[in-house]
Amino acid sequence: MKASLLSRYAPYLFLFPSLLLLVAFVYAPALENMVYSLFSWSSVRTEQRFVGLDNYRELFANPVFWRALVNNVLYAVISIMFQVIVALVIAAVLVGGIIGPRQRTLFRTAFFLPSILPVTVVGLLWQLIYQPTIGLIDQVLYSTGLQGLSHVWLGEEATVMISVIMVSQWQWTGYMIVLFMVSIQAIPDDLYEALKMEGANRIQQFFHITVPGVRESTLILAIITIFGAFKVFDIVWVMTAGGPNNASEVLGTHMYRSAFRNDVSGYAAAVATVIFLITLAIGAVQIRLQRQD
Amino acid sequence: MARRIGQTETGGERAVRMGTVALFWVFVILSVYPMVWLVLSSFKTSSEMFGSAWALPKAWRWQNYGAAWDYGVSQYLISSVIVTVVSTALIVVLAAAAAYALVALKLRGKTLLYLAILGGSILPPEVALLPLFRTVSALGIYNTYWALIIPYVAFGLPFTTFLIRAYMVKIPLELAEAAKMDGAGPFWTFWNVYLPLSRPILASAALISAMRVWNEFIFALTFVESESVKTVTIGMMSFANALRGDWAVLMAGLVISVLPILAVFLVLQRQFIGGLTQGAVK
Repeated sequence: MKASLLSRYAPYLFLFPSLLLLVAFVYAPALENMVYSLFSWSSVRTEQRFVGLDNYRELFANPVFWRALVNNVLYAVISIMFQVIVALVIAAVLVGGIIGPRQRTLFRTAFFLPSILPVTVVGLLWQLIYQPTIGLIDQVLYSTGLQGLSHVWLGEEATVMISVIMVSQWQWTGYMIVLFMVSIQAIPDDLYEALKMEGANRIQQFFHITVPGVRESTLILAIITIFGAFKVFDIVWVMTAGGPNNASEVLGTHMYRSAFRNDVSGYAAAVATVIFLITLAIGAVQIRLQRQD
Repeated sequence: MARRIGQTETGGERAVRMGTVALFWVFVILSVYPMVWLVLSSFKTSSEMFGSAWALPKAWRWQNYGAAWDYGVSQYLISSVIVTVVSTALIVVLAAAAAYALVALKLRGKTLLYLAILGGSILPPEVALLPLFRTVSALGIYNTYWALIIPYVAFGLPFTTFLIRAYMVKIPLELAEAAKMDGAGPFWTFWNVYLPLSRPILASAALISAMRVWNEFIFALTFVESESVKTVTIGMMSFANALRGDWAVLMAGLVISVLPILAVFLVLQRQFIGGLTQGAVK
């Protein structure tokens, strides 16, 4: 009797710890967050006052919020260009046989390496690289006579966002190249052979076989990239903390500053809810697109 | 479509090949030089570092490393190792158990349960951050290793379960059934059949989890505050603030903080990339 009872519930015992942790530390907080967004409160004032959608009204009237959202969109667009389009082309060339296998392994490792670095290391390193006059970039510009192009990269509103975004591309493009290489290598060789017989050149092969062959993984990788661009926080926080003058603010930093610096928790929860809705929409698009296949 | 050896190459093809290889070396320099600069700079004096960015150090200043170590990098490393080892072990064991139940055991609502686990992967940590902060405080674990370990495990489970499940699905169910015939319980089968057979994916999953935990940022920034509990990612920020101006020592500290993961990566590169490409997740 006891044994049969145990064996009936044993399967659930295997799942129980995982589900408990997920409910308590992932799902419940996400729901709580939405509730918080309907209240006005802070860690100083314990009293919570129900304000309905006031936090959202305030949010949509706040130019910093819109600035952050636009920066996230820019982040997504540039990330797609580098981490999907450029990465796919580079991966195709690496797999394509122009480059020998020994060199290919070397290139692959070299491209992948930045992605294993902790974000703090990357951020602090690039802060120094971007230093005006003495940093690596300005030194290159000065030594090639291009000092006219020099900027206070992280200090000017016009250049700060793009400078941070490019660091992300530096860190992650190689990673995506490796993922694309694997999915290109899964395309059967004879497809290429057949097209080559017909006299197709490498560019035609790329568009007629490689691109359709990796369609599905491209879709997934593009979604992951966009997803990442809308939840970005760490690299921006390390490099600029959203400054100067909120010029490099993204939704993540806007939320964090509201919650833990300005202590307007209800407002911060509203920003977090917006982030959540955006990622949910991206997830829904992914499911739709995959169903169509 | 690899080029056959001995196949003749026309002048045009040769030019294309040389051009491509040259271009790729430029990419390699763009990708790697910032890291080379980091390492070279860590051996220089601060004025030398900015004065001659491309030169080798005049004298290799190993004392930068000693200074960085004494500044507290050692403590951050200890915290990171503890948090990473405990979190990774818990993630892999719990995810393997869940994956096993989903694959090999009779369950009602299996799909729903799987989705309940997988769904966690679409939630960005930011969305749960504020309430989690309060939960962590209420549990009395704020500013302890547990404030990091427990959320890391919870957020690490969906992807890891997905990864291990995808592997366990390929293990023939007959093995589990045969074990059951012989009177083995589900725990025995899990421990003696499924875990040993899943060893390759468990290794990949552990590596990926460890790398993510080691590099995690927003929880580490929010749930601990004492220098003695800070992990390397956040510790390096305090370290940088304390060292404003002494750039070369800062660079040495950054190098130290990277060495453990770099070593692990270079040794286990194949398993790491293998696991990532199966999961295709950052």
